[in-house]
Amino acid sequence: MLLHSPLDVVEALRGDRLARPAIDRTSAGGLRAMLEDGIYEIIGSERPSTPVVVRASSLRQTSRTTDLASSPQGRLRGVLVSQVLRLLSVGTAIEDFFDDAVCAWRCEVGSPGPIDLLDQLDDDERARLATDVTAHCVTLTRALGVVPSRWMPRSSVRAVQSLAGGDVVLRDVVDLMIGTANDDVASIALFDVTTAPLGDGAERTMRYHALVQALRTSTLPLRTSVFSTATGELWLRDVDHELLARSVDEVLTCVHDQRSHR
Amino acid sequence: MTTLVHRRLVGEQINALLAEGPESSAIVTDDHRQSLTARFRAVASLEHRRLDAWTVEQGGRPAGAFRWSPASARRALGNGALRRVMAQPTASITEAVRDEVPDQMLRCTSGRARPGSLAYWLASSPQPVVGLVIAEAANWAIQLGEIADGVEAPWHVAPSDAYYDVAAARTTLRARRDLVVSRGDGRMIVRVRSGSPGRSAGPGLRADLTVETLADARGVAPLRFIGLWPEAGVCLAVDGTMADLRAGARDLVRTAVARRRHASPIAA
Repeated sequence: MLLHSPLDVVEALRGDRLARPAIDRTSAGGLRAMLEDGIYEIIGSERPSTPVVVRASSLRQTSRTTDLASSPQGRLRGVLVSQVLRLLSVGTAIEDFFDDAVCAWRCEVGSPGPIDLLDQLDDDERARLATDVTAHCVTLTRALGVVPSRWMPRSSVRAVQSLAGGDVVLRDVVDLMIGTANDDVASIALFDVTTAPLGDGAERTMRYHALVQALRTSTLPLRTSVFSTATGELWLRDVDHELLARSVDEVLTCVHDQRSHR
Repeated sequence: MTTLVHRRLVGEQINALLAEGPESSAIVTDDHRQSLTARFRAVASLEHRRLDAWTVEQGGRPAGAFRWSPASARRALGNGALRRVMAQPTASITEAVRDEVPDQMLRCTSGRARPGSLAYWLASSPQPVVGLVIAEAANWAIQLGEIADGVEAPWHVAPSDAYYDVAAARTTLRARRDLVVSRGDGRMIVRVRSGSPGRSAGPGLRADLTVETLADARGVAPLRFIGLWPEAGVCLAVDGTMADLRAGARDLVRTAVARRRHASPIAA
């Protein structure tokens, strides 16, 4: 399903309440087994000295493409837009998108390392970044609308899954998650924000979020989505076995590529 | 022999962990307490030391200076918000967190908070930081609330962590606890941690079990001490047996020794 600038992203994520399937608490074990079997075929009985780490960014970009969002400025923009999403998700009033995002980020990170990149910008670069971040945040704010607290919004939800005895680690951060796993029907919706236009990489990321959350909670999410603040597009997919099986294949391909590059 | 049970973090597994626990647990006597005190006194320290499961897991390596951040504030606020929701079920968790933050700030303006406390830090933080703190605390409270909702036995949010001051040994022991689950006359403790469990997670749990037992006025150990790592989707548990308590106490004393060595490397 492809939606162009929906009026309310949160409503789109929740969808038709009467059409939700029963919650699936049994399939995650099968997905884990598929991953374990596939990893064994790739790695065998050999124990690598350091674990193979798979992240959403590992799947987003292949060795044959260049993602503009992964430039230093693009990464800064992405981090700051994520901070704004976190503030919006709990209904915090934002006076200035850029300043507030930088303030929140400085407090969260603490150590100077990642902030150095921002502090090294000259006045012109900083002003350009501020304008850029503000434009992306305006698009996000208009599309997102108000996130009702009853839908239990959680932002920057982290997950880490160890496979093959810790030789392969799947790491993930979902920008926004709503819904609960304690219901009889599936209601968890995953929302990812990117500052780049949507492409194949965004689709893989959507699937990866669904897979890792299924492994983490042993419960299949209802749907997964990605929103581009560059174009205002929302891609939304119901989570089903075909989607998860594709993600398993993509993770295995990523593990294979990383192994062969060592 | 010590115990360590490993399960996936799903509702049925947690309930099974709670139901399958031992029927009775060990009791720490005055002799045990005096013996532990003597061991800690033997490890001299120039300053007051505070030991917990984290320091045990880190082998006594000194941690960086503590600073308040959204991540370090989330647990106190999140647990407070969940207690608030239990008392007033009509409120959503995010609303409860939003109410919890100004309450903390009021402690500062009313003079009931000390400098350096969470209340002081929140009161001096700009609005975006407070917003981020609310987001982190809401994450914590929603996660803990979801776990607790799935527990079939009676439970309540722990009013505070467990503390035990070792007499005349300049040592304070602390155990994290988030949920207290009742079973018959006994209790089980659930604590939640971020990240994924490392190789020393078992000793960390046993240290928490020991401190929780020492902090109990009657010295009764919890039937089971359960550690949850929601990010990794796993839980570990240790039983309240004398072997586990002894192992926990041994690790705490070893950590005190290791910490002294780190503090004075030449003497070591």
